[in-house]
Amino acid sequence: MTAPAKQHLHIPVEHTTLSNGLRVVASPDRSAPFVTVGVYYQIGFRLEPHGRSGFAHLFEHMMFQGSENAGKMEHIRLINSSGGMLNGTTNYDITNYFESVPSNALERVLWLEADRMRALKVDDENLRNQRDVVKEEVRVNVMNQPYGGFPWLDLPPVAFRNWPNAHNFYGDFADLDAATLADVQKFFHTYYAPNNAVLLMLGDFEPAEAFRLAKKYFEDIPPQPKLPHADVSEPLQTEERHGEVEEKLGPLPAIAIGYTMPPRETPDWYVAGIVDRVLHGGRAGRVYRKLVLDEQIAVDIDGGADLLETNGPTQMVTRIYHKPEFTSEGTVTIFDEVIEELQQKGIGLEELDPVKVKFRSDYYSMLESGGYPMPRFGLMHLLACFTLFDGDPHRVNKILAGFLGVTPEQVQAFAKKYLVPQNRAIVVRHPLALAGAR
Amino acid sequence: MSVSAASVVARANPPALGPESAVVWPKRTVTTLSNGLQVVLVESRNFPRISAQLYFRSGNALVSDTAPGLAEITATVVRSGTVSRPSRRIEEDLRRMGAGLGTSSGADFSAISSAGLAEFSSGILELMADLARHASFPSEEFERERRQRLEELKIERTTPGFLATERLRGVLFGAHPYAVVAPREEQLAAITRDQLVAFYHSHYVPADSLLIVVGDFTAAEMLAQIGEIFGTWKAPKAEPPASPAPPHQRGRRVHLVHRPGTVQTQVVLGNLSITRRDSDWFPLVLANSILGGAFHSRLVLNIREQKGYTYSPGSGVNPLRQRGYFTVRAAVRNDVVAATLTEMFYEMDRMRSVPVTEEELSSAQSYLTGVFSLGVATQDGLLGQLATVYLDQLPEGYLETYRERIRALDARDVQAAARRHFDSANAQIVVVGDRDQIGEQAALFGPVTEYDAKGNEVV
Repeated sequence: MTAPAKQHLHIPVEHTTLSNGLRVVASPDRSAPFVTVGVYYQIGFRLEPHGRSGFAHLFEHMMFQGSENAGKMEHIRLINSSGGMLNGTTNYDITNYFESVPSNALERVLWLEADRMRALKVDDENLRNQRDVVKEEVRVNVMNQPYGGFPWLDLPPVAFRNWPNAHNFYGDFADLDAATLADVQKFFHTYYAPNNAVLLMLGDFEPAEAFRLAKKYFEDIPPQPKLPHADVSEPLQTEERHGEVEEKLGPLPAIAIGYTMPPRETPDWYVAGIVDRVLHGGRAGRVYRKLVLDEQIAVDIDGGADLLETNGPTQMVTRIYHKPEFTSEGTVTIFDEVIEELQQKGIGLEELDPVKVKFRSDYYSMLESGGYPMPRFGLMHLLACFTLFDGDPHRVNKILAGFLGVTPEQVQAFAKKYLVPQNRAIVVRHPLALAGAR
Repeated sequence: MSVSAASVVARANPPALGPESAVVWPKRTVTTLSNGLQVVLVESRNFPRISAQLYFRSGNALVSDTAPGLAEITATVVRSGTVSRPSRRIEEDLRRMGAGLGTSSGADFSAISSAGLAEFSSGILELMADLARHASFPSEEFERERRQRLEELKIERTTPGFLATERLRGVLFGAHPYAVVAPREEQLAAITRDQLVAFYHSHYVPADSLLIVVGDFTAAEMLAQIGEIFGTWKAPKAEPPASPAPPHQRGRRVHLVHRPGTVQTQVVLGNLSITRRDSDWFPLVLANSILGGAFHSRLVLNIREQKGYTYSPGSGVNPLRQRGYFTVRAAVRNDVVAATLTEMFYEMDRMRSVPVTEEELSSAQSYLTGVFSLGVATQDGLLGQLATVYLDQLPEGYLETYRERIRALDARDVQAAARRHFDSANAQIVVVGDRDQIGEQAALFGPVTEYDAKGNEVV
């Protein structure tokens, strides 16, 4: 092949901060006539008010219920009828709203996002309606699904002690019922401010024009003079933590093992990204090989760590669905053999180098679309996290080097330091269907 | 709260759309090798990766009367070893090339897909060819995968969406092979390794197959590479048997899948419909978009945004190769099952009897053409669109003319399509939930047949 291998991909990134504190990031790409726009607020379910579990997510629904100049369903109608798609999601430390549209609708999207950043306009009827919708969302995704909420709702209350990290993020129904319109407005005024957000524009536009439009629509939105500071730190863990949850539908026992990861942007944090892939990188990963292929205890395993998109205590989690003829305790013992082998024998370059090749390939894939059917969705997501958490969107072009520089010695040292019982939590889902047989 | 005159006056209007840019679908290199393998190549050079999909036009529908699930378990085991590479080596080779691999089978096709770094494109294609030509089906891998699939089947039988689709497909397609969406446990248990090998040798053949590659390469060089890797592959193609006709349903009937104690009911109703090759396809897609195929559709507005019955309602047209089917679905709380069905039929009937407004029509046209064209801007989107066109053997120019064909339709076309394809009078209704909580509500809509979660009729 004569085509040069692009070893060093460079993503164009331009950014500025408006006078009200709104950060604006643009990544132009003129190859197709579409733009993807995102507004990310630095508020996620970690920081929802006490006694209001599930509120950050309920609030995200309210952001589609009407703003000053665009009433209920108008956001959706205006995006769909411009030829675009939209959505929003609530995460640990961010809530995002995003659209992909033909590039002639860029100004309209900015107008809409600015309108709801400036003034949410919702009433009790909207709140009642969306509370009902959210309850059905919880039923369809958690209560009426095998392994629903496993383990993202199971692990935090076992692993963590500080309420922001340890509560039910989808929300107890009693808490959802207790939410009032006053709560909605207060949350909006506290967190949905330009100086707590980043606007991202990706795709087919002239950056100077895009920045001009951003300024035109967003710069006169008043900032929140006093953003609250929240303490999401965890007390030092000194013992292994255990939890048990009844699995009402699924027939197999399931185990989640979560190790708490080092803080963002520390040297160990990069090692964590590589160790995660050593253990969980598909069928060549050590855990799949051991539990599914060699020992044939598990029917399936997967795992991962949300390192790039979290800004507080987070875990690398292994999920194991094992055959009912094996015990969960025995399964964890075999899992522990994988960990002990890494601690005692480390890793050779013949394994580490391919892990890094796959890591690089997966990073490009994430930038390209990130598995979401919107152009540059993954790139948008990373730029937002790098801007909000690290203050530097250009990290998107630098971060790979940190992961690819990890050495075998670092991997082994990490395993000894972090992959230890007093740094982990284990939750087992016991199937109701097996209860009689036990 | 009151809406004052002042606030109405103060309302700003959204900015008008700028001039529309033309969507240019990328140049395709389309050729058929002498062994019958059709090759479709598209250069997409923003990121240093390639994505490749190798399709065989043989799937579970071919074997649903003799060995249900055979195509699927064949696809699963195909990645577990070749004559020269044991399973472990395959997975290590993939990782070394920064590549992932997927093997799958649907009703009408089986596929081997891989995506990875462009610098390893020849290695990735060689591995795919190795799997397609020299898979060895090791006995122990077959037994391991079959056990895994058995456990997955048990999990599927606890999943409301699966149970609803299984029952609806069974009812709509009857003796036609599309009736079967998954094997029974005992059917999977009866499959032998020899059957996998026989299916593989008969159906993983170059004649009538399709290779799509998108990514960072030059088409001429990629084509030469593919010629070297796949050109020597020769195997004859077996003629598929004709399928029995699906039943002709008259009158609404209710099919209740009983799951005691569930907190929510999965509702899905539907009727047989058309394929993408039918002349009604475009008006049907447009009508479906207005009914329930988009966030801003009547069904979502009604039962989600006004009534709060459900989180993710929708309607869909599901084109398989021989026939299609139309569905309306929602997961709702147990006390509004009858109310939900009432609104679903109301919305279907309204599409049939009252023309859509000009505003709805043009909104839906813009939505469909915009979102369709978004496919041009991601590698996965492009692969999906190309697979639709070439796997279904749609006319050349399908992508390029989609926009004008949708734009050319009017409210009468939409109504006519709704009258032909939203068959509310004869729709088959599936509800998956607790009989004691929803049985009476469901019975208001037609005679009820009850099933258990294993798929057996309860007499």
